[in-house]
Amino acid sequence: MGQTRREFLKTSVAASAAATVGLPISQTAQAATRDAEAGWQWDKSVCRFCGTGCGIMVATKDGKIVATKGDPDAPVNRGLNCIKGYFNGKIMYGKDRLTQPLMRMKDGKFQPVSWDQALDEMEKQFKKTYKEMGPHGVAVFGSGQYTIPEGYTMAKLMKAGFRSNNIDPNARHCMASAVVGFIQTFGIDEPSGNYDDIEHTDTVVTWGANMAECHPILWARVSDRKLGDEENVKLVNLTTCSNQTSDIADSEIVFKPGTDLAIFNYVAREIIKRDAVNKDFVEKHCVFATGPYDIGYGMRGTSEYAYDAEKDTQAKELKVTLDKYEAIAQRKKEGDVIEQKNRAKPVKHWQISFDEFKRGVEPYTLDFVAELSRGDADESLESHKEKLKALADLYVEKNRKVVSFWTMGMNQHYRGSWVNEQAYMLHLLLGKQAEPGNGAFSLTGQPSACGTAREVGTFAHRLPADMVVFNGKHRARSEKIWNLPDKTLNPKVGSHITKILRSMEDGSIKWAWVQVNNPFQASANANHWIAAARKSDNFLVVSDPYPTVSAKVADLILPTAMIYEKWGLYGNAERRTQGWRQQVNPPGEAMGDVWQGLEFAKRFKLKEVWGEHNVPGLKSEGFEDGKLPSVLDDAVAMGYSPEDTLYDVLFATKDNKKVAWPDPAVAKGHGNHIADKLGDGWFPEKALFDEYRQFTVNFQHDLADFDTYMRDDVRGLKWPVIDGKETEWRFNEKYDPYVTKGAGFEFYGKALKATPTGDLDKPTSKEKKKLAGKAKIFFRPYAAPPEQPDDNYDLWLSTGRVLEHWHTGTMTRRVPELHRAVPGAQVFMNPNDADKRGLKRNDVVWIESRRGKVKAVLETDGRNRPAKGYTFVPFFDESVMINKVALDVTCPMSKEEDFKKCAVKVYKA
Amino acid sequence: MTAKSSRREFLTRSAQGIALAATGGLVWSYLLQQQAQAAPHAIRPPGAHDEVDFNAKCIKCGQCVRDCPYDTLKLAPAGDSVAIGTPYFIPREIPCYMCIDIPCVKACPTGALDPSLEVIEDSRMGLAVIDIENCLSWQGLRCEICHRECPVQNKAITVEHHPRKISKHAMFVPLVHSDACTGCGVCEKACPTEVAAIRVVQPELVQGKIGEHYRLGWTIDTPITQDFKPQQRVDEQPAPATGLDYLNQGDL
Repeated sequence: MGQTRREFLKTSVAASAAATVGLPISQTAQAATRDAEAGWQWDKSVCRFCGTGCGIMVATKDGKIVATKGDPDAPVNRGLNCIKGYFNGKIMYGKDRLTQPLMRMKDGKFQPVSWDQALDEMEKQFKKTYKEMGPHGVAVFGSGQYTIPEGYTMAKLMKAGFRSNNIDPNARHCMASAVVGFIQTFGIDEPSGNYDDIEHTDTVVTWGANMAECHPILWARVSDRKLGDEENVKLVNLTTCSNQTSDIADSEIVFKPGTDLAIFNYVAREIIKRDAVNKDFVEKHCVFATGPYDIGYGMRGTSEYAYDAEKDTQAKELKVTLDKYEAIAQRKKEGDVIEQKNRAKPVKHWQISFDEFKRGVEPYTLDFVAELSRGDADESLESHKEKLKALADLYVEKNRKVVSFWTMGMNQHYRGSWVNEQAYMLHLLLGKQAEPGNGAFSLTGQPSACGTAREVGTFAHRLPADMVVFNGKHRARSEKIWNLPDKTLNPKVGSHITKILRSMEDGSIKWAWVQVNNPFQASANANHWIAAARKSDNFLVVSDPYPTVSAKVADLILPTAMIYEKWGLYGNAERRTQGWRQQVNPPGEAMGDVWQGLEFAKRFKLKEVWGEHNVPGLKSEGFEDGKLPSVLDDAVAMGYSPEDTLYDVLFATKDNKKVAWPDPAVAKGHGNHIADKLGDGWFPEKALFDEYRQFTVNFQHDLADFDTYMRDDVRGLKWPVIDGKETEWRFNEKYDPYVTKGAGFEFYGKALKATPTGDLDKPTSKEKKKLAGKAKIFFRPYAAPPEQPDDNYDLWLSTGRVLEHWHTGTMTRRVPELHRAVPGAQVFMNPNDADKRGLKRNDVVWIESRRGKVKAVLETDGRNRPAKGYTFVPFFDESVMINKVALDVTCPMSKEEDFKKCAVKVYKA
Repeated sequence: MTAKSSRREFLTRSAQGIALAATGGLVWSYLLQQQAQAAPHAIRPPGAHDEVDFNAKCIKCGQCVRDCPYDTLKLAPAGDSVAIGTPYFIPREIPCYMCIDIPCVKACPTGALDPSLEVIEDSRMGLAVIDIENCLSWQGLRCEICHRECPVQNKAITVEHHPRKISKHAMFVPLVHSDACTGCGVCEKACPTEVAAIRVVQPELVQGKIGEHYRLGWTIDTPITQDFKPQQRVDEQPAPATGLDYLNQGDL
């Protein structure tokens, strides 16, 4: 990156800052504004889009949102919004908003039906599959965009009601790798720090995070920090594709996909070589650990369903031949064929000594890592080396504070969990973690990936507050809070989102309900899943406000309320829980997801779901293999009747019904279309939130009560909230009441706090060694991506976002202004690569992989500037369904898909 | 339309009544093209109605031109892009000096120049825009002549101070504010660059507008409504069963 270009960009930033500072408003203008706004009613709310969690104010008039503004009192954004946030007020008013349930008829065409007809058919199909296949034959595609009450309703309905763990959110594709990293390292999910780290730090290193486009408001904070102290504050952007985050950075490191694993180890090796390990911190608060390398790539173990062209990639799931770099990185020989023996248990790990850890990182010398990782063929090896060395210098510098941010580049990665753990590895070795301005900080993509998907636990293996279904104590605690008979909850982990899709293809799941997401556009290798959805014996229900790709392949479509048409709470990436009231009614017959869940629950009696079930593969202490026992007798003993519905037993309980609607003190006049439609006098969102809160209190995840979040003077609170006070930095005695007095730091998370011990290659003692209060520093090696460019598919493809559109574009593409600005997804390519193929900018080209092909317009000069050999295509555009091309490799530990690496060819259409 | 109502509309249209009139070089060249091609963008005397109304009412009598004490105004000759015989001025040659008694308006027999314009500061002949690529002050030179010469100084043009980044000197950058700029052109006349880097144009050529659906969060106070009144939607709601065409047609 040329110095002049950077200077120019910096000057432009200064110039645009100049253009907006402190303009006075004339009194006439103010008066005019007041006139125009007569009768507007304002309320606080949050942005619908990314995980940043910006506060907004919403104005309504005549039953419609008339305006929004950034909330100046919101600590996250202080009144600002990005261009998506600017359009929050318009996303609900697309012309093709769905207002009636639509059912696919015998002729294959959709027709409007009543809610009763819709729910009748849904129930009939569910009961048929449930009877035939049991709890594992049905599934829910959930979301990191569920409100907390929505996620809680559906998790409880599936897990406690239908006794099925087949509920998994699209957040699986967003931050499951981050979760594994957190749980394995700290024993508890979510970041130590908060966004104020940005103002406290001296160094921001972005690893696979194009924050300039994907977390625009946070990037404005980072940029402000940089501009406020240009000499001292350093920004480094590590990426596989030069992007806008590089524009203000001091250094841009373009690396070859997957080699971030090696770069981390190089920095770790430097920390040790330069004697920069914070020995006191590491001895008191950390242990070292590692795990097996031969864990596969999250593909199917069989080629039965693979297209012919896919079979060579799929075969690597079972064995791989080590290339020369992997051989060095894993202390083996080039050409060794490694059978992937630990595919079934990829998460197992054991403690090792510091000496073993040191031995692990030893091969990662500057020369080795620079040669392996250089991503831009036009950059000299020397220049790349210099940058890597400078990166290590920044981390190591004694009094320098460092924040490492990452998002999908590290999470959507065939070794996503490893690379997340490596980020903590650096910060823990240096003792630069869990204090203001120091920390590895995993950013999230969705507005409630943290608040709902993770904290509520709408995953196939989770229960609320970081508990898991395969832990008997966790099930018992959940059963107690939920007032369920012993052994109601199913101990067998359900299907993650990719497995649900695969199961729809292989016939092991036949009924599925999609909520608040669009999996048939958003999942890699989409041709398979689209075909599976249309199989005649599968029944697919899609709840959505708009006709989406997923709706198009559904059997039943339920019109759904959008954000400001319902009450809700979201939790952002810094542990901040924020709530809002219903502002307007949904259009037509559209209804909120909470209502849809509750209404469906009314259709099931205990006797239909709490009897004995066959669950193939269930194996758990206290359970007969392959069986969920009947809990009906126990239920009767507890005072339930087999005729009671799931609605009565799980939701409209005696306690919950005491939470009355209307609730004038909290509602301040606002409506609640769900409580009104239920008509039985309770306030579901509040009752369910406060019920859910019981899981969190005194359990390291304390939330405040519903009413607190709705208060005028509260703009969200960062959990744990103890005695009404939020926690700024966790694990740090100065800020976190959970830390034992005198400990300084304490990584008190309870999960995985005893492991076997061993050496770098294997566990040597099965006896579990405890590590209470400590974090694990993992050694994880470099492993090569399973699919790489070859002579035929000769380019890398990464997919991702653009600032203007949200996920699959179902909302933002209905905002005319955003559609006008970015009407379609382009394929970004290096101009030299285009020349070589005889292609020009704006040519329509095919992008083809082993799995499928799509057409897009070629861009050689734009916001993303790939090096030779790389392409980038955003995934928002359903007419450029790049997920037909992308590869459904997942991190074997987190099951999160790797949307960032596959091999394609590009040619003129 | 009276000058006042057009002013009000103008203010409302600009959402906060404020718009920054500095634009970059690319927009500028577009402007020049537009100006060359079409008459609607001539700079008219104070109080002139919008171009259509003005052309309908102006009888080309030349009385405003006669009464202009500075010889600012002239009548468009044949062959010019401006309608023949109508009054206009070229600020770089002679700007409007904003006479307090507004003799040109008084002289107009037809009301093509709006007689309700009583205060010359309320006139909107055009809007000054700065070409920040060629403005000396925006490069860091200490010029700011436009600011010092502006007859509505510190309202129509203000100066802000910003770090220059490439040296240890602050920049004094002029900014134009549309709520106060009359478009008199004194700044354009005074601008010392070879070709003026601040110029008066018709506002509609350069002014954008923030959507009605958005307010800048920090500029207005919007307390949470304490007695919210739910209302029924009154506008046209989406048609029933929308989206069916999409859902029922074509393949994926």
